[in-house]
Amino acid sequence: MDFNEFKKAVADAARQMGIPDYELYYASGESTDVEAFGHEISGFTSSVEGGVSLRCALNGRMGYASTQVLSAQEAVSLVRRAAENAAVLESEEPALFVDGSQTYEDHPAPAYPLPDAAALTEKVLELQDKLLGADPLVLPNSQSYASSGTQTVAIFNSRGLDVSVSAGTAEFVVAPIVGDGQEMSNDYNFKAGDPAKIDFDELVSKAVTDAKNKLGGSVPQTGDMPVVFAPEAMRSLLATFSSAFSSEMAQRGLSALRDKEGQMVAGANVTIVDDPFFEGIAMPRPFDAEGSPTHKKNVIEDGKLVTLLYNLQTAAKAGRTTTGNAAKAGYASKVDVRPFVMYLKPGQISEDELLAQAGNGVYINSLGGLHAGANPVSGDFSLQSGGFLIEDGKKTVPVKSFTVAGNFFTMLSHITAIASNLEPPRGGGSTGFTSPSVLVEGLTVAGK
Amino acid sequence: MIPRDVCERVLRAAVATGADYAEIFAENSLNHSIEMVGTKVNTINDNVIAGAAVRVYKGLRSIMATTVDTSEAGLMRCAKNAAAALGTGDPVLDFTLTERLYGDIHPVLLVPSSVSSAKKAAILRESCQAALSYDPSVRQAVGTLLDVDHNILIANTEGIYAQDRQIRTRISVSAVAEKDGQTQTGSCSPGRRMGMEMFDGLIDPAAVGVEAARQAVVMAGAGYCPAGVMPVAIENGFGGVIFHEACGHSLEATSVAYNASQFAGKLGQKIANDKVTAIDDGTIPGAWGSINFDDEGTPSRKRVLIEKGVLKSYMIDKFNGRRMGMESTASSRRQSYAFTPTSRMTNTYIAAGEDDNREIIASIPYGLYARKMGGGSVNPVTGEFNFAVDEGYIVRNGQICEPVRGASLVGKGSEIIQKIDMVGTDMDMGQGMCGSSSGSIPTNVGQPLIRVSSITVGGR
Repeated sequence: MDFNEFKKAVADAARQMGIPDYELYYASGESTDVEAFGHEISGFTSSVEGGVSLRCALNGRMGYASTQVLSAQEAVSLVRRAAENAAVLESEEPALFVDGSQTYEDHPAPAYPLPDAAALTEKVLELQDKLLGADPLVLPNSQSYASSGTQTVAIFNSRGLDVSVSAGTAEFVVAPIVGDGQEMSNDYNFKAGDPAKIDFDELVSKAVTDAKNKLGGSVPQTGDMPVVFAPEAMRSLLATFSSAFSSEMAQRGLSALRDKEGQMVAGANVTIVDDPFFEGIAMPRPFDAEGSPTHKKNVIEDGKLVTLLYNLQTAAKAGRTTTGNAAKAGYASKVDVRPFVMYLKPGQISEDELLAQAGNGVYINSLGGLHAGANPVSGDFSLQSGGFLIEDGKKTVPVKSFTVAGNFFTMLSHITAIASNLEPPRGGGSTGFTSPSVLVEGLTVAGK
Repeated sequence: MIPRDVCERVLRAAVATGADYAEIFAENSLNHSIEMVGTKVNTINDNVIAGAAVRVYKGLRSIMATTVDTSEAGLMRCAKNAAAALGTGDPVLDFTLTERLYGDIHPVLLVPSSVSSAKKAAILRESCQAALSYDPSVRQAVGTLLDVDHNILIANTEGIYAQDRQIRTRISVSAVAEKDGQTQTGSCSPGRRMGMEMFDGLIDPAAVGVEAARQAVVMAGAGYCPAGVMPVAIENGFGGVIFHEACGHSLEATSVAYNASQFAGKLGQKIANDKVTAIDDGTIPGAWGSINFDDEGTPSRKRVLIEKGVLKSYMIDKFNGRRMGMESTASSRRQSYAFTPTSRMTNTYIAAGEDDNREIIASIPYGLYARKMGGGSVNPVTGEFNFAVDEGYIVRNGQICEPVRGASLVGKGSEIIQKIDMVGTDMDMGQGMCGSSSGSIPTNVGQPLIRVSSITVGGR
């Protein structure tokens, strides 16, 4: 059965079991992925995925159960399992639902015709030809990928809420491997959006240039020095430490920003924004994972922590209103708290001017091991890095196999300059992180 | 799960346009987890994952279609989509499916779904309580008890029709300690391919909580690790993540078949120090990374990857094996039906050597002792890897001295495995979830205490 029929089956089952308050969260997607190797298609995948999660409130506690099977029998099992699970819960957190009277901002998703399997195949072979012909150093084992698909999120509850949002995205990826006979290096680049508007030559040339730049890189000297984080590196740091903005983490004692709302937590030049309707995002989300309306807000404004991010439950606990940041990692996950598109507000100067201010130091455009070498609770990080030396205010030779170490929350007070080069977050979906380049003083580089 | 005659009809539809191989992978899994914050049950997650994938090959082309509809009609739609995507042609294959009885080397005594959530919560509470009462500086403990009942069916045009039930259980506790305003975490996460009998004598829930708390308390009192190049001794158990990242991933056909690995074309060559013998063994009874057969239906096995420094074997799945002209090594794995399988590790470790542990530490005038490693990652093309040291100590004049935090190790795999110049005798394993293109899968890493003669330590 489809989701509409399943809703009815669950409503019937809940009524029969005497469960008045419940909510169904449904996520589904269809996608086609094509992969090229050599000048041929090496892989093709067509997938249909979806699942539904039920939350029900019993004695003020919220039980969850999820499934990928939409059938009348499973509807009964789902309600029974969620009710059983609710009975075991012990946390003193209120079980809350929104009703059907919400008002949502209207921000339509970018609309364009999605390429079908044949068009994707043609596009990925064209992209692969461009990639293999881009430079004599590009090796024949470089690959290109293309995908297109649609996704839907719907929420239905016993209080009259019945909302859904859908969007389609096409995505193109190139993964060049380059070699000069001595060593190999690689990179990748991707763009999501209307294929008629994507500059595929630029997509390829940036990836190939970045891969070539890593050849022959040396290991920098160990020491404390000015560091410029390129947009891709600063974005990764922001993503890694974004859990500190979650009121849920703060309430659990796992955020360095707990009890700091209204206080200065960064330099006066730092403003961090969360925007569910960031221009160009593949699927703008008018409602969050609990069905609350979403909106754009400053999280840090001129260095001051304006607000953490809240959902219904954490807001009730803190005696305030939700910021519309309820989120789920997947349909089966518990509702938690996350940003939509979080970014550092850009400054006025160009990246070149930023480099000139840095004088001598390193420019970091790749960071590795963020899931392990960074502690989101304390803010400490020590990360594998790659990039360029900055000498006399200019990027010069490539450097690699070194680490950069510091503390993210301390670093927010030591950003000496912010460039203007903010780009939309890459990839499809409703969430992402982005940042302009920043110059930071006083980080430790470990090389040779 | 799906009758043999249905599988035969679906496979015939899949090869109707000339595929030279077709396969059905169907799954019905129950994932259950309880999360405890402090000593209270905070969340129960209970998810049924059910679906199927039909895959066809022709030469070096692979096509896969997935569905959540595992009825014959749903599977037929997938088969026809896959056949159509291949193009036009006539069938070239004939086959008969025969049920394979591979046996189960991981018999489960206590199926997790037969144990009440209240009983599971009590086990978890014992762990969290032990963490919280370990030391006054422990501020918080978060625990998770996860059990997975993963039922798979594989049918392919080589005639295989096989089913397996993979039950895994894991307890994980993370403790937070605070000293002088400094917050640090510690964790302990043992798991097995077992049911709830894992807690009958093998894993002590209280000891798991104590270990997480011990690490958090030590690290909360630690200063920053200094940066530089130095010798490092890496402890056994999860320390084996160094081999997993620095070398293991680069031996997977996923990268070797495309010549995108630092070790491509090096079979039979000396790639590591004489002291290094490395093994991938999917047959260890009850081990977290073990399988009865892989996700293409090839029976699991033990294989030597590196013997005394010489490269002996890659880890290969059927599809990538075609490109390499080599047989599968039973290494094909996928998180679920929704992922295209590829070659992955199972239980991978550096075998025990002959060096004395005390001599390994005593040999270091100034360096780092990494007692507990965190996770890491690698770029298989270049071999550049990184991983975090969750609990480290400075070694001075052959003595383990003060603890240090925030250390990470970076280097190049092909260089580091030459520098593993001392290997102890006490091999042990640790559990992890390994992420790659075919999703997140359970793997064991392992080694005895080893010495790396020099490596870049990131700190400040």
